[in-house]
Amino acid sequence: MQKFAYFDTGHEFPEEIIMAAGFTPYKILGDVHVGTAAANDFLFQYLCPFARGCMAEALSDSEQWAGIGFAHGCDATNRQFDVWKAHVKHTFLHWLDVPMKINKTAQTFYRQDLNQFIKALNRHFDLSISREQLRAAINRSNKIKTVMKQLAALRAEKDIPNPDYFEMTRMAVQEPKEQLLLNLEVMLDDWQNRDPFPKDKTPILLTGSDVTYKEWMEVLEVSGFRVVRDDLSLGERYFNTTIQDFDDPVEALVDYNCRIPQPATKVPSDNRMQYLLQILDETKVEGVILQTLKFCEPYALDAPWVIETLKHHGYKVIPLEREFTPTLDHQTITRLETFKELL
Amino acid sequence: MLTVGIDIGSITTKIAVIDDNKLLFTDVSFTGYNAEKAWQSILDKTLTRLGIEQSAIDRLIATGYGRNSVDIADKKITEIMCHASGARFFLPKTRGIIDIGGQDSKFISLGDNGSVGDFVMNDKCSAGTGRFLEVMARALELNLEDFGKISLMAKKPAKISSMCTVFAESEVISLISKGEARENIVAGIHESIASRVTSMMGQSATPKPLVLTGGVAKNIGIKKALEKILKIKIEVPDTAQVNGAIGAALLGQKQ
Repeated sequence: MQKFAYFDTGHEFPEEIIMAAGFTPYKILGDVHVGTAAANDFLFQYLCPFARGCMAEALSDSEQWAGIGFAHGCDATNRQFDVWKAHVKHTFLHWLDVPMKINKTAQTFYRQDLNQFIKALNRHFDLSISREQLRAAINRSNKIKTVMKQLAALRAEKDIPNPDYFEMTRMAVQEPKEQLLLNLEVMLDDWQNRDPFPKDKTPILLTGSDVTYKEWMEVLEVSGFRVVRDDLSLGERYFNTTIQDFDDPVEALVDYNCRIPQPATKVPSDNRMQYLLQILDETKVEGVILQTLKFCEPYALDAPWVIETLKHHGYKVIPLEREFTPTLDHQTITRLETFKELL
Repeated sequence: MLTVGIDIGSITTKIAVIDDNKLLFTDVSFTGYNAEKAWQSILDKTLTRLGIEQSAIDRLIATGYGRNSVDIADKKITEIMCHASGARFFLPKTRGIIDIGGQDSKFISLGDNGSVGDFVMNDKCSAGTGRFLEVMARALELNLEDFGKISLMAKKPAKISSMCTVFAESEVISLISKGEARENIVAGIHESIASRVTSMMGQSATPKPLVLTGGVAKNIGIKKALEKILKIKIEVPDTAQVNGAIGAALLGQKQ
């Protein structure tokens, strides 16, 4: 099954429509080992390096993809659509205007937006995506999210290294869904039989920019931390909510978009804070690690407010800024180890 | 109890020996390329100077960026904890520490009980660190050791606006070509570092007493520049450069 790639700085791209169209949804994450050099010819170097990494991947691999979808994300990356249109080889490039808000007007707008996307796919690929196909895709998606949620819950109980969890979340957005579900079920069996949560690790909640490569999860691992909860799009936000079974599957996707935990690109930000406090209330953690990727403005701008609010609620928080690199950064490790000593 | 603290920094490796909470010996050497060789060498030298065998050491604590290379360490502790411990040894009522080393600068605030309350470190940038001073000393053809004293002769510190070491060096070269007095440029460099460190400390009230540690603390110009901005007297231990190693050895006494 051919990949249909999408660029989404959040977790809002409707993969189910791609699945119903007969493609494998493939979230573009860039390759930190390849870097951003290819994209630097087209984008300023003070733009988010993750986004530049995504473009570098597209410049290299786009001809293998059936099409490319963009979901409205942060302002800096939104502007890239035109750059991709001009410089990335494609036969189908679609902009999905996922609304910034979740009110009634936004829902009406989004419903039209999704229907236009389906029409565009039907027209370009000579398809006729049916309600049944969409509902089947939603059903599969819900099964995947349910198993992922079960897997994620085991982090607080079992010995699940951070890179293992990362790999689970990466697979979910990049691998063929049928095989994925089988692989996740095997993984669940494995994780359920793991040793108990290690005594030398400190349970934390990870928030901030999406972590899109496992090496940074290893930084947390070597510093003695285990992520037992997270507020990431390449993480819990992706599988936290299931899609309701409506007669009209498009309506179900609109409803789902209103209920999912929000990234920092959406307003008002209070919903994100409520979600953070809710998951902190659900699971005991020793502290919160708030990391932002360099030039990731939505999370960096939110950081002072998030830190202050969480500290006000009695949580210990460490803010960190990281580079887009697979190299273990010893200064960051020192900060993290000190945070662990303080906890 | 005989404990040893080894602090492996980016430029220098420091060692301190504490015997029953009394400072017995300290030494400093260059770290160079090989951190493992650096600590082995300074440890061997220390043992020879003290006329003791390695087996006489009850506990060895490693700190600094190269701490993980010390495979014989009983424990590895971050430099933040060690600097806090070392500063309290010098001045038990210490409430705040500014530590400026070769590749990073830190501000550590201590709680009423002397434990570390919070800390901030510079980002991955050499501005405001010992490396920055090294680059500037080279541009001005001065010995780093003379930097502090020369700055005290300044009549009007020059303004160094660039936050980046590379651009600041260009700015310094421009000032030289304009004929600006060397002492004014040096004082300006110190004020630029002090400004960067104090902005990192944030808006909250400066804790007192405040202690300056790390290799850069040997520079009187930095101390004066920090005092000018913070408007308080800053304490500098004679052992400022080896403060982290002393703190490590002291934490070894408590383990």
